[in-house]
Amino acid sequence: MTVAEVAARLDAATMTAIPVSRPVLGGYASDLLSDVMANAREGDVWVTLQKHVNVVAVAQLVNLAAIVLVHGRKPDPDTVARANEHGVPILVTACSAFEAVGRLWESGLRGRGAP
Amino acid sequence: MHVHTCLSPCGDLDMHPSAIVDAGAGANLHGLAVCDHHAADNLPAVQRAGKARGLAVLPGMEITTEEEVHLLALLPDATAAGVLQARVSAVLPGRNVPDIFGLQVIANERAEVLGFNESRLAGATTWNLERAVDEIHRVEGLAIAAHADRERSGIVGQLGFVPPGLALDAIEVSAATTFDLGRARLGLPLGLPVVTGSDAHDPASLGRAITYWYLDDATPREVRLALRGEGGRAVLGGGRPMEDLALHILDLARNGLEAGATRIEIDVSEDLAGNRLTISVRDNGRGMHAPVVARAADPFFTTRGTRDVGLGLPLLKQAAEAARGALRIDSVPGQGTVTTATFEHRHVDRAPLGDLETTVLVLMASSPEVELVLTHRRSARAYTLASSDLRAALGECSWSSPEAIALVRGAIRHGEASLEERGHEGS
Repeated sequence: MTVAEVAARLDAATMTAIPVSRPVLGGYASDLLSDVMANAREGDVWVTLQKHVNVVAVAQLVNLAAIVLVHGRKPDPDTVARANEHGVPILVTACSAFEAVGRLWESGLRGRGAP
Repeated sequence: MHVHTCLSPCGDLDMHPSAIVDAGAGANLHGLAVCDHHAADNLPAVQRAGKARGLAVLPGMEITTEEEVHLLALLPDATAAGVLQARVSAVLPGRNVPDIFGLQVIANERAEVLGFNESRLAGATTWNLERAVDEIHRVEGLAIAAHADRERSGIVGQLGFVPPGLALDAIEVSAATTFDLGRARLGLPLGLPVVTGSDAHDPASLGRAITYWYLDDATPREVRLALRGEGGRAVLGGGRPMEDLALHILDLARNGLEAGATRIEIDVSEDLAGNRLTISVRDNGRGMHAPVVARAADPFFTTRGTRDVGLGLPLLKQAAEAARGALRIDSVPGQGTVTTATFEHRHVDRAPLGDLETTVLVLMASSPEVELVLTHRRSARAYTLASSDLRAALGECSWSSPEAIALVRGAIRHGEASLEERGHEGS
C-alpha cells in the first residue's frame, strides 16, 4: 500500500505538495508524541489528532511514511510548511481515529511489534 | 509555585482559602502561587487569608492547551488574572458536570461557599501552545511549562520535545523527580530556569516540592526578575524537603546557624564497595546538653519558637532507618554539634541525594558570612568546596549575583563530574 492508497481509503485530503507514492509498511496510532518517538516504526503511517508543528519533526525522526490527521483537523500553516520542507506527507480525513485505523486494517495494513 | 484550591475540579474540598494558607505556613513557606485550572475565582480570598498570616500569595492559573500541554501562568496581579480568565473562558468549551469532574467551589476565607464556577475547568482550551504563551505574555504574565517531566499533560510527553523558539519563561519539574535531574534533562538543554512546585490538590501535599528564591520580597515582580536573572534576584534551587537528602542537609546546617555557628562542614561519603552512604554535618555552634540531644529526634520537641514541632531530625532519622542506617548526634556544649546519618547505599528505600547545588547556594546566599565547607566522596574520589575560596575568586560580587551563582554551580558541577567513573581523577 502507498500513501496515495491510504488517502483513498480514508477519503483524505492531501495537505502537502510532495509525492504520495511512498510505500506504507505498517501503522501506528497515538496522540502522545513521546510515545510515537519511542514506539512507531520507520515506514509507518501515523494516525493522530495532534496538529502541532512538532508532529513533523517526530515523523521525520522516525522516518514515517505519512501523518493522518483525524476528525477533519486542519494542520497549522507552520506545520504544512515544515512538512513540505522535510518531505512528510500530511493527510486529513473526516474519519475518527477508530474509523481510520479500522479502514486501514481492513485493507491489510498492520501494526508492527505487537505481541 | 503551583497550588490548586477547591475551585479546581480535581482539588480537594479541604483546599479552601484559609486551609491553604495554614498548610503553607505549616510548611514554612514564605509564599505560594494559586494556580487553579482556567480560573482565579478563589485568588482574592487566598490573598486575604495570606495577608492575615504574613504569607505571600501570588496570582496564577494553569492553562491546558489544545495539545493537552499544561502551562502555568504566573501573573502580575489579580486584575491580570481576571483578564486572563475572561479570555480563557471564551475558548474553553463545555460546562462542568460535577458528578464526573467534581465540584468547582468558590469559597471565602471563612470556608463559606459563595458559589460554583460553571465552566468545564477540567477541559482543554482551543488555544495552541504558542497562542497560550502569547496570551499569558499579553497580560504581562510568565509562561511556565507545568510538570514538564510528566508524560501525561507535560510538554515533553505530549509533544515529544519542547518546540524550538517557544517563548517559555521557565520549566517546572514535578515532585516526582529530583531537582538536579529536572535541571539536567530539561532546564540546561533549553537554557531555561527550572522551578518546582507541589501541584498540591490536598493540604498534606502542599510544600512537598519547593523552590528557593533570592528576592527582596515574595512578589510577582521579584519572581520575574529572578527568572530573568536580573537585579541581583535569583532562583537558587529547589527540591522535596521531606524526601531529598540534600534538603535534610540544608535543614541540619540551618540548625547549626541558629545555634550561632560560624563554620559548617558538610561531608557526603558514598562507599560503593561497602554499600554505605554517610552524611555528616558539623557546626561550631553553641552545642546541646545531653538531655536535649536525647530528645532532638523526637518530633514533638523543638528548641525553635517558630513552630510547634521540629520535623527535620525525626524525618531524617526515619529516612536513615528505612535504609537500614541510623542517625547519630554528638554535641558538646560550647563547641558544636556533629549530626551523622548513615544509609545502605543501594537500599530500595534509600532517599535520593537530590541537589547539593541548592543546598550550597541557599546557605551561601542566606548566610554569606559563614564559612561553608562541602566535601563529597565517592569511593576513592573526592572534591572539596570552601566558601572562602569561592569568595576570594568573586571579589566584591554578592552571593546572589549571576556571577556568584555561576561560579558556585560551575565548581559543584566540576566536582560532581570528577566523581564519575569515566571522569578525571578527583582532586
